Amino acid sequence: MQRKYFSLIPLILIIFFNSCKNDEYTVPVGKTGLNNDCIKRTLGPNIVGNNIEFAYAIALPAKEGKIISAQVEATIPAATGTYLENRSFYTSASGVDVGITVGSPSVTTDTKTVVTFTKDTCASTLRFFYTIPEAARGKSVSFTFSATASNGQTVSYSMGPYAITKMDMKLDLVATDNKACYISIADMAIYDAATAAANADKIDLVYLYRAITGITFNHALASPGASAEYLPGITLPAGVNKVTKMSKTWALNDFNLARLQYGIYIDDVDFQVVDFTNAPNFVINLKAQAGTWVETADGKYRAYVYINAVNNAASSMTISIKRYLMK
Amino acid sequence: MKKYSIIIVSLILIIFAWVRCSKDYPVDEDGLLITTRAQCYVSNFELLGADFQTVRTTAAVIDTTALTINAVVFYGTDLKNLYPQFSLVTDAKLDPKITGKVDFSDLANPKKYTVISGNRIVKKTYTVYITVQPKL
Repeated sequence: MQRKYFSLIPLILIIFFNSCKNDEYTVPVGKTGLNNDCIKRTLGPNIVGNNIEFAYAIALPAKEGKIISAQVEATIPAATGTYLENRSFYTSASGVDVGITVGSPSVTTDTKTVVTFTKDTCASTLRFFYTIPEAARGKSVSFTFSATASNGQTVSYSMGPYAITKMDMKLDLVATDNKACYISIADMAIYDAATAAANADKIDLVYLYRAITGITFNHALASPGASAEYLPGITLPAGVNKVTKMSKTWALNDFNLARLQYGIYIDDVDFQVVDFTNAPNFVINLKAQAGTWVETADGKYRAYVYINAVNNAASSMTISIKRYLMK
Repeated sequence: MKKYSIIIVSLILIIFAWVRCSKDYPVDEDGLLITTRAQCYVSNFELLGADFQTVRTTAAVIDTTALTINAVVFYGTDLKNLYPQFSLVTDAKLDPKITGKVDFSDLANPKKYTVISGNRIVKKTYTVYITVQPKL
C-alpha cells in the first residue's frame, strides 16, 4: 500500500465510530394547543336521502382547557335528519361502541350543525350524519368541521367536495304474481292491474312466477311488449305495452341494494356504460342475488333491479331498485 | 496493446451481432409460438349468458370426427348475447377469435369456428349447433 493512503485511515475511523453511536431515546412530546382530525366513514355513491357519515376528532392537553363547542358547516343546507352526535364513543372490551354524552343535542340551522359541550372534556370524537337533500342532487357538497376550546383557540378541518349522485333508490318492493306485479321504473313502484291501467304509459316490467314442467321459467321479469311466450297466463291491462330492454346479471350484489357483506357499489357511471345493443325484453329463471339492468322504452331511465329474495310458495319477489335519469 | 484492444472489441461486436441475428423460435401473425404439434381438436365447449352463468342444460356434445358441437340451452336463453368458450388441444388456436358477445340467434345458419394446430398446418372447422330447450 502506498504511503499516501495512510492519511485516509483516521477519516475512516471517525465515520465508523460515528455511525455506531447509539441514539438517545427521548419521550415523544405531544402536540400542544387544540387539534382536530376527520375521516369519512361511508363508502360508495352519495345518494339523496341517505346519510354521509363522518367521525370528527378534537383534542387539547387537559391543562390547556376544555372543548366548548363543535360545529359542521355544509355548502348545501342538509335535509331533515342531519345531526352531529352529542356523544363521544369508545369501543368496549366486547367490541361494542359505547357512547358518553358530552354535550347537548345538536342544533341544525340552515347550513350549520352545532353541538355545545356540557361536560368538562378535552378529547372527543363526534360522528356527523349529513342527510343528503334533494337540492344537492348532481352537485358537490363540502364540509368545514370546526371546534372551539375554553382557552379561545379554534381549529377547523375541511372535507370534500363529495359528488352527490343523480340516481334514486328504492328498497324492498314486493311484487306478487297476478296481484301487484306491474313495475314502474318512472314511479319506482309496483302496481296492481287496476292502478297499472291508470298508469299504462309508466309500466315497464311485469313480474310473474311459473313452475312449468320441462323448462326453467320460475321467477321472471318481462316487459309488457315481450312475446306472449314469456308472459304466459298474463292478460295485460289496456295500454300496457312498453318494450323495455334488459340485461341479466348474477351476483352483482350492490351494497346499497343488497345490504350484504359485499363491497360493490353501482354508481352513476355504471348506468352510462351498460350496453343494451340487442338486449332482450325479458329475463326468466331469476333467483335471489340475481338482477337485471333495465332501460325504459323511451330511453329516459336506466335502472338496476336487484332481487333480494324470491318466494316460490307465495309467488312473490322482493326487489330493490337504483334508477338513473339518462335524459 | 492498442492494436489488441481493437481486435478484442471488434470480436465482441461480431459475437453480439451474430447472436442478435440468429433465428428465433418461429411465431405466427398473432405473436404465438409455432410448434411441432399437429393435433387439432376442441376438447371442451362452454356457453355463458350475459350474466356469465352457463346457459347449457347438459354438457355440450363434441364430435371431433364430424367436427360438430351440439349444445342444448335453457328455454328463454338470450341467444343474441352469448359468450362461447372453447378449450383446445395444446398450442392450437381458434379462428375467428372470440372478443366478446356472439350472436347465435340465427339457428338456421350455425356459427363455424376453425381450430388451427400448433404447427399452423392442420385446420379443422367445427360447426356449433345450438338447440333451445323445448317447452313440453
